[in-house]
Amino acid sequence: MVKRQLSMVLDLNKCIGCQTCTSACKLQWTNRNGREYMYWNNVETHPGAGYPRNYQNSGGGFDEDGALKIGITPIAEDYGIPWEYNYEEALMTGTDPWLRPNVKPTWGANWDEDEGRGDYPNSYYFYLPRLCNHCANPACLAACSRNAIYKRQEDGIVLVDQERCRGYRYCVTACPYKKVYFNEEISKSEKCIFCYPRIEKGLPTACAKQCVGRIRWIGYRDDEAGPIHLLVEKYKVALPLHPEWGTEPNVFYVPPMAPPRIDGNGEPTEETRVPLDYLKSLFGDGVVSSLDTLREERAKKQSGAESELMDTLIGYRHAEMFKLS
Amino acid sequence: MPGLRISCGTAALLMATTALPAAAADTLAESNIKLIEPGESVPVSKIPDGIFLRTVNDPDDIIWARIPEFRVEMGLAPPVHPSVEIRYTDDYPTENLVFQLARTSDRFYVRLRWMDETENVATKRDAFRDGAAIEFSSGDDYVSYMMGSGAEETVNIWYWHPEGDRVESLAAGGPGSITRLEEQPVTGGSEYLTGANADDSEWIVVMSRPLVAEGEHQISFDRETIPVAFAVWQGADDQRDGLKLVSQDWIIAELTPDTGPAAGN
Repeated sequence: MVKRQLSMVLDLNKCIGCQTCTSACKLQWTNRNGREYMYWNNVETHPGAGYPRNYQNSGGGFDEDGALKIGITPIAEDYGIPWEYNYEEALMTGTDPWLRPNVKPTWGANWDEDEGRGDYPNSYYFYLPRLCNHCANPACLAACSRNAIYKRQEDGIVLVDQERCRGYRYCVTACPYKKVYFNEEISKSEKCIFCYPRIEKGLPTACAKQCVGRIRWIGYRDDEAGPIHLLVEKYKVALPLHPEWGTEPNVFYVPPMAPPRIDGNGEPTEETRVPLDYLKSLFGDGVVSSLDTLREERAKKQSGAESELMDTLIGYRHAEMFKLS
Repeated sequence: MPGLRISCGTAALLMATTALPAAAADTLAESNIKLIEPGESVPVSKIPDGIFLRTVNDPDDIIWARIPEFRVEMGLAPPVHPSVEIRYTDDYPTENLVFQLARTSDRFYVRLRWMDETENVATKRDAFRDGAAIEFSSGDDYVSYMMGSGAEETVNIWYWHPEGDRVESLAAGGPGSITRLEEQPVTGGSEYLTGANADDSEWIVVMSRPLVAEGEHQISFDRETIPVAFAVWQGADDQRDGLKLVSQDWIIAELTPDTGPAAGN
């Protein structure tokens, strides 16, 4: 149990899949020194196989009795092997007629982008940005036989003590979200650090600050005047991804609303285009009331009435989106 | 002939018996190498002062044909952490590890060999390396051979990495407490011998350290007996940490000042 817990909410209705967050994170932390293949933050398309490939079927997490479950360690091709292009030869010297990667691309941070599911006019997809959930019950921490993984008392950020880590990789397998990565250059595990050096200076994470869609809110769970409490506790519109995995994430998602499905006569039906069962499979049963609340509050705002929830989700000012004290 | 320079006085003796280390029997268990049971004692052979190893950790040095080999049965270590427990299998086969203990006037040596069908050297995201270790009790055999018994009853472990033949000197006072020591005086060398058949292939590893201990928790050889234990990791089976094959309980290494090179097995 930590004294305070930092948390993030992401509104999937506002994510445009631009990967600015991904780039911000990569430039800040993972474009060097054995981390090139890592995306501590990525945006993937759902329905889809995600990143690393098929992580949702890779095990880990806890069973109903709270015991660690065995998982799969993704292979290099499931993350995607970083590649470079032959710019010099193809564009400058002209010695190669083709611009091509130097390795065979197999996968990436959003490989199956925009594929989605369903047929026109009922095809659908949405974007799901993912980072370490800084869980209240981290499987990575439970799996580490070295006690190298810990939660900071002051903010609940989950970190890998690089002095204690001996590269056993139990954490990589145990995290059902596969958000712990093994650095082959130093034989140690690494992961999203919630930009703690920025947090300690009162700044939001790079992914949140750079987000052009302003889809991310950061604050403490116990700050009743903050956006996290409002979205998670008060209106209960923000939900954890795969709560059934038992890790109690501290990253929450406002589920995507969708237009109605169109029937064979071209008429709208009562069903939403993104099937409710699919959203339940990601965010649990709470998605039903979350979407109901979102619809009600949106209608309220559309009618010209006040909506505290919609005003929060619009995200007028960064100062109100990031409450770091 | 790899790695040995001899004084004139010992040349005749060695030329008379220049056999290389005993060729592996079909299995090490079927060999005539003496099986050491838990708690038994084995001598640490003294290499005479007139014999100089050309390369300190040459696993193929002819001197090893003169040092008695012992065999110990290795079984999967009992799990002490949930991450090990969920990967533990009761039916994992036991293996045999052959070990030799020796010293010169200023250096302690251990040579290990074991059959391994696969040479796993690299440490990758989804690939685990082979490994081997010798563990020394800082005290008597009342210290737990499973990584020591607390901060006051520690063990010193020499852990060999196949990549670059790096040997780490570690200390532990219980499971999960492995700590890399500040001083790193242990060096090593290895050889992977590929057999005619895959299951004839074996690792040979030598680790050594100056007899005089440098730094805290480095094992002292200034004693008559030292409890030792062994561990081997099969990278092909994703073994690391407590997922390993270990000898059961301590074997007592006897350090005597006048132990000379013994005949080969």
